[in-house]
This record gives sequence, C-alpha cells and structure tokens, in this order.
Amino acid sequence: MKTPDGATLAADEAPFSPAGAAPARQPRRAWLRPPSSAYDQRSAMLFLAPMIAVLMAVAVFPVLYSFWLSLFDLKLTRPHRVPFVWFDNYLKVFQDPLFWESVLRSVNFTVMSVLAIMVIATLMALLLNQEFRGRRVLSAILLIPWAIPYVANGLMWKWIYDSGYGALNGLLLQLGFIDKYLVMLGDTDKTLGLITNAFVWKEVPLATILLLVTLKSVRPDLYSAAKVDGANVWQRFLHITLPSLVPGFALVVIYEAMMAIRHFDLFFVLTEGGPADASHVVAWQVYVETFRKLAFGTGAALAYIMALATFVLAWFVIRATSRKL
Amino acid sequence: MARIQFESVRKQYPNGYTALENLNLEIADKEFLVLLGPSGCGKSTTLNMIAGLEDVTDGNLRFDTEVMNTVPPHKRDVAMVFQSYALYPHKTVYDNIAFGLKMRKFAKAEIDRRVRDAARRLEIEPLLERRPDQLSGGQRQRVALGRAMVRQPQVFLMDEPLSNLDAALRISMRAEIKQLHQAMQTTFVYVTHDQAEALTLADRIVVMRGGVVQQIGSPDAIYERPSNMFVASFLGNPPINFLKGRLGQTPSGLVFRNGSTALTLPPQAAQKLAFYDGREVVLGIRAEDVAEEGGAAGDACLSGRILSVLPVGSDQFLELEVAEAKLFFRVGKECRYREGEQARLAINLNRLHVFDPDTTDNLLWA
Amino acid sequence: MNKLIPGQRALLFIGSLLFSLYVLAPIGWLVSSSLQSEAEITSVPPHWVPEAPTAQNFRAIFQATDEKVTYETRKQGDTATGGFIPSTAANLLPSMKNSFIVALAVVVLNLLVSVPAAYALAKIRFIGRTTSIYFMLSTRVIPDIALVVPFFLFVQKLGLMDNLLSLVITYLAITVPFSVFILTGYFESLPDELDKAARVDGCSRLQTLVLVFLPLALPSLVAVVLFTFLTSWNEFLLALMFTQTPASQTMPIVVASFTSDFNISFSFINAAGVLAIVPPVLIAIVFERYIVSGLTAGAVKG
Repeated sequence: MKTPDGATLAADEAPFSPAGAAPARQPRRAWLRPPSSAYDQRSAMLFLAPMIAVLMAVAVFPVLYSFWLSLFDLKLTRPHRVPFVWFDNYLKVFQDPLFWESVLRSVNFTVMSVLAIMVIATLMALLLNQEFRGRRVLSAILLIPWAIPYVANGLMWKWIYDSGYGALNGLLLQLGFIDKYLVMLGDTDKTLGLITNAFVWKEVPLATILLLVTLKSVRPDLYSAAKVDGANVWQRFLHITLPSLVPGFALVVIYEAMMAIRHFDLFFVLTEGGPADASHVVAWQVYVETFRKLAFGTGAALAYIMALATFVLAWFVIRATSRKL
Repeated sequence: MARIQFESVRKQYPNGYTALENLNLEIADKEFLVLLGPSGCGKSTTLNMIAGLEDVTDGNLRFDTEVMNTVPPHKRDVAMVFQSYALYPHKTVYDNIAFGLKMRKFAKAEIDRRVRDAARRLEIEPLLERRPDQLSGGQRQRVALGRAMVRQPQVFLMDEPLSNLDAALRISMRAEIKQLHQAMQTTFVYVTHDQAEALTLADRIVVMRGGVVQQIGSPDAIYERPSNMFVASFLGNPPINFLKGRLGQTPSGLVFRNGSTALTLPPQAAQKLAFYDGREVVLGIRAEDVAEEGGAAGDACLSGRILSVLPVGSDQFLELEVAEAKLFFRVGKECRYREGEQARLAINLNRLHVFDPDTTDNLLWA
Repeated sequence: MNKLIPGQRALLFIGSLLFSLYVLAPIGWLVSSSLQSEAEITSVPPHWVPEAPTAQNFRAIFQATDEKVTYETRKQGDTATGGFIPSTAANLLPSMKNSFIVALAVVVLNLLVSVPAAYALAKIRFIGRTTSIYFMLSTRVIPDIALVVPFFLFVQKLGLMDNLLSLVITYLAITVPFSVFILTGYFESLPDELDKAARVDGCSRLQTLVLVFLPLALPSLVAVVLFTFLTSWNEFLLALMFTQTPASQTMPIVVASFTSDFNISFSFINAAGVLAIVPPVLIAIVFERYIVSGLTAGAVKG
C-alpha cells in the first residue's frame, strides 16, 4: 500500500556517504517515552502503593491534621474545653515579642552556621579533589562527624565546653589566651556561637561531599581549552571553576540553611534554650509550647509557621532538583 | 502459526506525538520482513508493539486471529534481539541463554539440551561459563541470538542488532542471520536504517517515514520500482540523483528538458507520462545507470562539468554538475575523467524514474 | 589539576593534617575522657592523655544491671564534685538494643517499600509518574517539628505510646523519600533494554525487578541500608516524644538524659558517649565507599 507523504524531496536532502558507510547512529529521543499498557499501569500502581500509603499516613496526613489543630485553642492541661479559634493562635504567635526574638536567634544561628560550613567545606572539598595517597582514609575520617548522632555530638561538645573542667577552657589556659577558666555555654554572649560550632562540626562532612561532587562535575576539557587560550591558574579559577560551582554551591547553602532552621537536638542537649533564652530558637519554642506548656494549639501553629518557612526555602531546592528528573 | 496483522493501528503518545499513523500490515508466517527507515519513522515502535513493549492506541494487532492489544510481553511467544544485546551482566552466558526457558518453566533437561544445541550452532560453546563483560561485541551478539533462538518462538524480533558491530563483522553476521532464518523456519521481523542490510536480508521490505508506510514490497520491487522519491532515495548507494525539469512533447517523442539537457524518454514511459506534457517533473537517475558516452545519441546523454573524481576501490564516483545540480555517478575504474573537464555520460533511459514534484509519487509505477 | 608539584604536596599534607585534627580531636578527647577516673577528669588544666586510665566507667555501664546502685556505690567518684554513676546507667545497653531493633525493622520495611516504588518510577512509564515524584520529594521538606503535635496525639489515641512500632512507622516516613530518590537514580542508570529483554524473556514486572534489577543494584542498596540505619539510630526528637518509659527508650534519649543531669560523673557520660558513637563510626569507616557513592549519586541526579 502506498500513501503520499505530502513532502517534496530536493536532491540535496538525500543522504549521501561516498564510502558506503551507514549514516551516523540515530540519536535516541529521550522524550519518546511511551505510556504504559493497562498491565503496566496496574503494576506501577501496585509498586507505588506502599510508598504512597506510608507517606500519606505519616507525612501528608499529619501535616493536614496539624494545620487543623492549629486552629483550635488546644491545651492538654485543659483537655475538655477546646474552642475553635480560627487563626488566633497564629496571631498570638506573631504578636509575641518573644517569638520574634527567637526568629532572630534562629536566623543568627542559621547565618553563622551556613557561613562557617561553606568556608570549611569548600576548603576540604578542594583538598579532597586532589588525587593523593591516603585520600580515602581522610574521606573515611571525615564521615565520622556525619555518622554520629546529634545527641552524642552534643554530649561531646558539652563536655568540651564545660565551664569547670572543659577541654576548651583547658586549651585556652595552656596556650596562654586566658588566665582562668571562663564560663562557656552559660555566657549568653558565647552560647549561640558555641552551639553553632558544634553544629558546623557535624554538618561539614556532608557539605564537603556535596561540594566535592560539584567540583568534580566541572568539565576538564574546559580547562584544557582555557589553558590553550592562555589563561593562568587564577584566571581559570575565576572564569571556569567559579561559574560551574555556583549552582551546586547554592544547593548546598540552601540545604544547610534548611537543616539549621529546623535543628533541635543540639539545643536540647546543650542548653535547653538557655541560659536566659540566649539559645531559645524557634525550633525550641515549638518544643516548649508543645511539651512543657502543653499548649498544643500554639505548638501546632508555631510548627506550621516553621514548616511554611522551610517549605518556601525548599521550593527553590526542588526547582533546581527537578530540572534533572 | 504466526501471522501478524496490524489493522489500522495508530500509536499516539500522551503529549500528542503520533508515532504511527494508520498502519495496515500483514506479516506472513515464516517470512523475513524488514522495517526500514530513518530514525523516528516508527519502525522500532512497530517492533515494540509486536513484542508488547508498547501498546496500541487505536486499531488492532493480531497474532493469527487473536487480538493481542492488551497481552503483556511475558505472555506473548516472541523473542527479541536488541541493538545493545541487553545481556544480563550478573549471569553467565549459559544462564543468559537459559533465562527465557527458565521463566517459562521448561524442564531442566530440556533447557540444557536447547542451550547447548544453540551454543553449538552459534559456535559459542566454550563461552558458556563466562560473563558478558568478558566477551567481545560479536560474541555478545551471538549470545543474544542464542537467547532468542532457544525459545523457538513464533516470532523473532530484531531491533538493529548489527548496528554496534564493526563493518566486517556486520557483513558476516548478516549471512548468519539469513541462515538462521532458513534453519528456524520462523517469522523474522527486523528493524534497520541500513538500506544495504534490508536489501540483503529481506523477503519483503516495509519502508517507513514519519509514522507512515511508504511502500511494502520485495527488495527488488522496492529498488526497481520505488513508489515515491523518498523510497527511491533511501535505497541505493550512492543515493539516486534527482533532476528537475519539464516534459515537452516533440515529434521525436516526450522530451525531458532542463536547460541545455534534453533527454528523450522511451516510448513505454512516454505513454504513461503523456498527461504530464508541459509540466514540471523530477527525473530520477540511479548512480549506476550510466556509462561512458561511447556513441550514444545526444538525447540520451547528460553533459556537465566534472566537479570531483573519487576513487572507491573497484569503481569511481563522479560528481557531475548538470544544470546547477550536483549529480553523483558510479563508473568503472578504467574510465578516465579529470576534474574541471566537461564530460558526457550516457544514461540508461529504460531505467529512468519520473516523479511528480508535488506528490513525489513515481509516475511510471503508480 | 592532578599533577602534584612539591609545594602542593606539602600543602596537601598540612591541609590533611589540619582537617584530620579538626575531626578527630574532639572525638579523641571524648575517648580519652571516658578512660579517666572522676578524680583525674576534674583536673585543671585537663590531662589530655589519661595518666591513670581506667575502665571503671565502661564497667559501670556493662555491669549496671548486676550492681545495685546504693548510696555507697553512688559516691564512687570524687567526693568533692559529687559526681556519681546514675541508676539509669542500666538503661544504656537496653536502649541500644531498642535502637538496634528499631533501626533494623526500619531498614527492612524501608527496602520493601522503596525498592518497588523506585523501580516503577525509574522504568515504568505510567500516568501520574511526575506527580508521584513531586509528591515524594515534597514530603521530605516537612520539618520533623511539624509532625510532632499530630503524631503525639495520634499515637496516644492509638495506644501506641511507648511502643517501638510507632517509631518504626514514623522513621519509615522520614527515610523512604531519600531511599526512593537514591534507588530511582540508580535504576535509571541501568539500561532500559535490559528491562525489555527480561520482559520479553517471560518476566512479569515483579520478576524483572527481583531477578534482574535487584542483583544489579547492590551498591545503591547498600547505601540505602546504611543511610536508613544511621538515620534511625540517630533520631532524637520523635523518639523523645514517643518513648516515655525506660523500657522503650532508644539510645539517643538515654544519652540525652545523662547530659541533663548535673550530678552524673563526667567520665561516665563520656563513656556513654563513646558507646553511642561506636556503631555509627564503625559503619562510616567500613562502608565509606558506599556512603560517598550513595550521597554523590543523590547529588549528581539532583
């Protein structure tokens, strides 16, 4: 059977290969993904069902439920009277000066952490990017802070920071920086900084590895081309390394910021929000409202505000991520 | 046994892209059918539909009389050889070949018999305990063939299986596949973009373009009587030469004119083309249908300036500039032509093709 | 960037040394402190290397269930500081057992849930695929804090308080998205034609997954197991909520309870810390290659 295809073929459109070789391999059309048959659709649904069920039950539902809760004045101290208060809880939170102070502390903590993490992790990544003997050993050592639980991390640093017998004090004394032991965590000027240090110490490995991947993704042929073009080391760094690093860099910054904003464990172990609220961040406030004051309505509202803030931040991450999916 | 029928089959993807438009095809039992065309023409899609790897949007696909649209691949009796061989990297050659039989619950003794038999035929017996990554490309291809062979399926599907092999191996494998077909007496459906391969292997060729079947026929029919310009240009190496011009009726017969070129068409052709008197047509001249001038009449010759002479082993390719068109011809090694010279080549007028410039249909073999 | 010139070599060496110090010094101090008696540990300035190392702290932990904690035994440490081994010392080892049980359960369930989902997302083209991916990613955005209140009420209502099951299910929700992410990336890197060949060979979708893809995905499976295990082992906040009694507490809770009690001997706390970090550190060192490749796979795909 023959059908007209309606196109006119000019002489120069015909494929030609004088040596008689077959034309170059046809490129695969990545977007030519077929939909499935009914069997495939059923299989896919079955395979995904457990994951969807788990996530629905333990992620989606709680989020919705917590929003619902935040609209009530629910106090477990007074469980029988639960008035519906619309967005009162939220208003109360926003009108509370303590809340804004805690936001400031969270932001403070986040900014300090992210800065420190990026600086240290970048240096480490640059180091690990080189090929040298013992690199694997260094890499394994590097993973240790990442692997240990935050509570152990907190415990370790609490002891180091101890005002009476801590290693930090001892070191400073021995090096001659101070002549008697200082108050560490108890000193409101130092509290947040010390917690930051503990947090940074544990987060650096992951950041390093992520940055390492970014470093490795820079195409080596760009360097060769630049060398031929006459660029020196500094120029190559400025015009090739740096621009290729920016997206990966940004991703790590956003990720670590997210981690810092919601971090809780260290605040519990090291200072419990003190002293005198010096480390009373928003995450801690949620805990206090919910488990100390048993004001579940307020706690839920706070949690929701935090979740929203994190979500907005994460939206940027998802946008960057989904481009490659 | 295995007669495959496509009844008005259409394949459309959710994003609107139509890969196959109204495909009607009947594949006879035991024939070697080649689906030929450029990338994106729908040949692989058609093959995948037979396998069940893609489903039918509209229309029916039948094996014998049974509608197979909703039958998943593992319930069909087809075997497939892939371009990248797709051997299971974690299994030995033996297990690779035996896998399909194992899945279909054959007895161990029977599996062993078939596997060793196929291995012997394909001369890969010493490789049975090796893993795919220890094999060369050609060896892997044989294992892939073996895997399909032992199934003794109703239909043998092959998706550009030789594209990843080097040229010499490709030629020898073609012969082996042809022999395999004879030995197995099963329907073979073979996808390729290589026209030489199609011409060598096929009982029938289906030429496809943009999801539409251009022509179905034996290799000879497709080559000698292409139904349109696309088919004509797709087969033949170097591709057919097209020359635009106008037909004019003269006392000596129907003449094709383009500038200073004038060719008198043979009477049988003139009869069929009478309707086109005074109209524009496209002439199709295959590269091999020329000879040295040697006393041929002026109205059976093409003259032009030689742009290049390319020796290719036993022949030469001549690039001739005729009326602003660059035409390629194949002549014998003994001919002496020089670049920049004017030359006249005699055309075998009986082998001319004439096409309608708008519909691109072949006017002589409608 | 790969050739080493002499000056570079020295720089690398110094750099490596500095970073190793940065990582190992605090841990070293932790270990050193755990081996010091209460008397030694309270010296000013501190003894960096224990002059009289003792295993009494570890002994206290391991034998806590045997020894009765009485008024006398409490004052084992330096009377000046009043530090003592707490009666809750007995809880540490059982809590580690709890942590282990939970982590193991989560790993198994995680694999059962994530592997099929990842295969479907990677290899099956179906309606709703993109939506599922976005859905899965967005659930990981929710901070654990936001789950606290609803979970607590729910778990209470269901009577699952103090039940390790509540932890297992919760941790599943935390670890599944990441596992699916890693596995999907890895499955996608396996050739499509392998999938087709298996299906034409006679495998149903499930058989294709189990017989063909799983064996090939071993590296990423290992990575998933490691991440899931570590996440479960280390998790604190949710465990804090769901486990009130010592019988059901996991390790981080018990360790945290030590740190909040000001009367507990410092050396003991450090010993507890050492025990707490032994499993993760071992895992990190032994499986470094898998962890790094798992993390980088996630990063490369994302």
